[in-house]
Amino acid sequence: MGKVENIAYKVEYKPRTGSEAMCEALLDEGVEYLFGYPGGAIMPFYDALPDYPLRHVLVRHEQAAAHAADGYARATGRVGVCVATSGPGATNLVTGLATAQMDSVPVVAITGQVGRGAMGKDSFQETNVMGMTLPFTKHSFLVEDPEELYETMRRAFAIARSGRPGPVLVDVPKDVQFAECGGDGYRALREAPPPVSSPALEAAALLLKKARRPIIVAGHGVILSGAERELIALAERTGAPVVTTLLGISAIPQDHPLYIGWPGMHGQASVNRAIDRSDLLFAVGMRFDDRITGDPSRFAPNARVVHIDIDPSELGKVIKPAVGIAADARAALRGVLRHIGRPQDNCAAWRAEIAESQRPERERAERARPEYGPIRIMDAIKAAAGEEVRLVTDVGQHQMWAAQFFRFTKRNSHITSGGLGTMGFALPAAMGVKLGCPEDPVWVVAGDGGFQMNLQELATIRDLGLDIKVAVLNNGYLGMVRQWQQFFHNRRYSETPITGPDYEHLARAYGIAGRTVRPGDDVEEAVRWAQRTPGCVVLDFHIDPEANVYPMIPSGMSVAEMIEEDA
Amino acid sequence: MPEAASGTLAVAVEARMEGGIYALNRFLMTLQGKRMPVRDLTVGMGPGESVVVALFECEPETARRYMALLSSLEDVREVREAGEVLEVALAATGEGWREAAVRAGVVAHKDGGTVVASGGPGAVEGWLRMLGDGVEDAIRLGPVARPGRGR
Repeated sequence: MGKVENIAYKVEYKPRTGSEAMCEALLDEGVEYLFGYPGGAIMPFYDALPDYPLRHVLVRHEQAAAHAADGYARATGRVGVCVATSGPGATNLVTGLATAQMDSVPVVAITGQVGRGAMGKDSFQETNVMGMTLPFTKHSFLVEDPEELYETMRRAFAIARSGRPGPVLVDVPKDVQFAECGGDGYRALREAPPPVSSPALEAAALLLKKARRPIIVAGHGVILSGAERELIALAERTGAPVVTTLLGISAIPQDHPLYIGWPGMHGQASVNRAIDRSDLLFAVGMRFDDRITGDPSRFAPNARVVHIDIDPSELGKVIKPAVGIAADARAALRGVLRHIGRPQDNCAAWRAEIAESQRPERERAERARPEYGPIRIMDAIKAAAGEEVRLVTDVGQHQMWAAQFFRFTKRNSHITSGGLGTMGFALPAAMGVKLGCPEDPVWVVAGDGGFQMNLQELATIRDLGLDIKVAVLNNGYLGMVRQWQQFFHNRRYSETPITGPDYEHLARAYGIAGRTVRPGDDVEEAVRWAQRTPGCVVLDFHIDPEANVYPMIPSGMSVAEMIEEDA
Repeated sequence: MPEAASGTLAVAVEARMEGGIYALNRFLMTLQGKRMPVRDLTVGMGPGESVVVALFECEPETARRYMALLSSLEDVREVREAGEVLEVALAATGEGWREAAVRAGVVAHKDGGTVVASGGPGAVEGWLRMLGDGVEDAIRLGPVARPGRGR
């Protein structure tokens, strides 16, 4: 992760309240934005907040606060911060924290708690938020001693961003926020990165040099550690083709000649087949998620595996590596590069074989390109928004279409909920992305199901005047579930048809421009209009209700069972 | 590496942590959440440190991966293999149990009409085999990890 640069702010450690100590800690961590929602148990903190140069974004639901903090962290590499009160405020954060945990995103969540004397008595708005969040936070604190508040806050940030990043919760009883507390007492955590074993790096390099059909698999860890240059250098030095995981998309520009796509349940058929035939998988910063491997026993049956990940417990969890290296991706790739030596390309025939297998897919996509539908919409967004655009997607069919057809060329420009698959993620996350990267165009691509889960944030976006464009791919279904029902449940569309408001009018009700786009309409013109219209714009694309995402490897199956065409 | 009665390997792991009940809660929830194959668990909690001894029924390599995961928990100070894994057998048997115990390397004594034997899982298995048809009835407990300095 990128370093947090503390902003200059003079802090005098005189007696202060717990709330003031919390604000000082946030400033000392260089926090720019907080995403939150006030309530009874967090009121002392909100009372102190206006006295500090911290910018608070008042969301309309606490879940959105967590997603916005998450989006900010993913886009900037800094720690995102969200705030909620006790009880329902805290429980509403839960989905967002689980999302961040699954995707290794550094977030600090601050929650108010009922006063210490009221705890354990089923008091009004009391929940055991610490206990509740234990399984999906990297760590959590309940601060019962005001003297420990400042240090705990600083530790929370250090834990969130160190090693494998993740969310950390700090639960602060109301009376602790009021209480007077003293000195700073902060012991900076200087977590040294785990040492990288040189023999392991040498072995990894040797396997890569000897391989004739290697594939480099880049995951989110490459982006988190800022190892994109090293990744590209390794590929170019060896001629090895590169694929990414879903979260690894944009770790390498997709127009790079060595990039061949992404594998998995909805990855390109040619990429899945290439993995099936490869003799070496060189996996960096990824965890062999089941959406990648399908049946692990039949995944990459001919390949030896080099697995580099900062979390040692990931090594061998799903796929047993020939060489496992627990290390930061950038440090490890630099080490491997040292052992690779001068450029040596043994893979020309292998790349030609892959290119040939990809030709029919390319031709099929080219034929579909002019048709009204997801590919054309993605092309239009890229053309109108330009190379700097960051695309934030929700979860479902549109997410897969965006990943398949949007051409990501900017580093870290694809933001999505991968591990948890959280519908409702995109719109609030885009707020964090836009605030963190105000110069970059930001587009949301969502389905009509997920968009309705957090569309109240249009009010927040309007208030802030955020220039976020929203493309709703509206098929009147919970499309991915419907697709599974079509394939595996004999077309029994149980509870997947879904209605919604007229999004164009809904946008206007929020004071936001909107337009409905139907088959036969000029997609490119609509997208260009949205791009040049100041502020937020919602485009409601009515698409084929029964369009499917292809290919598809059914859950738990292998490339042999891949479904490629409509039956 | 001792072999449990079920034929799978058993690895005893000892974890020391600070952070009281919260740390213990997180530790136990991690065992559960990651579906670690816990056969036996001993918990000791003191004012400054808590000790958990868990017996994993899995390959040593898998156990080491679990140990790495548990080590990464913020409050956990140390995770290491605890070493000794015990199995206890309560047997109603005739003569010859004492000599067989010496040969098998288990510790045994008679309590009323029951012989209580303890030792490594393989050793207890061997002891019971030596007794053969002489065993009228037997109850096997474990394997369990011998608690370290847990309170």
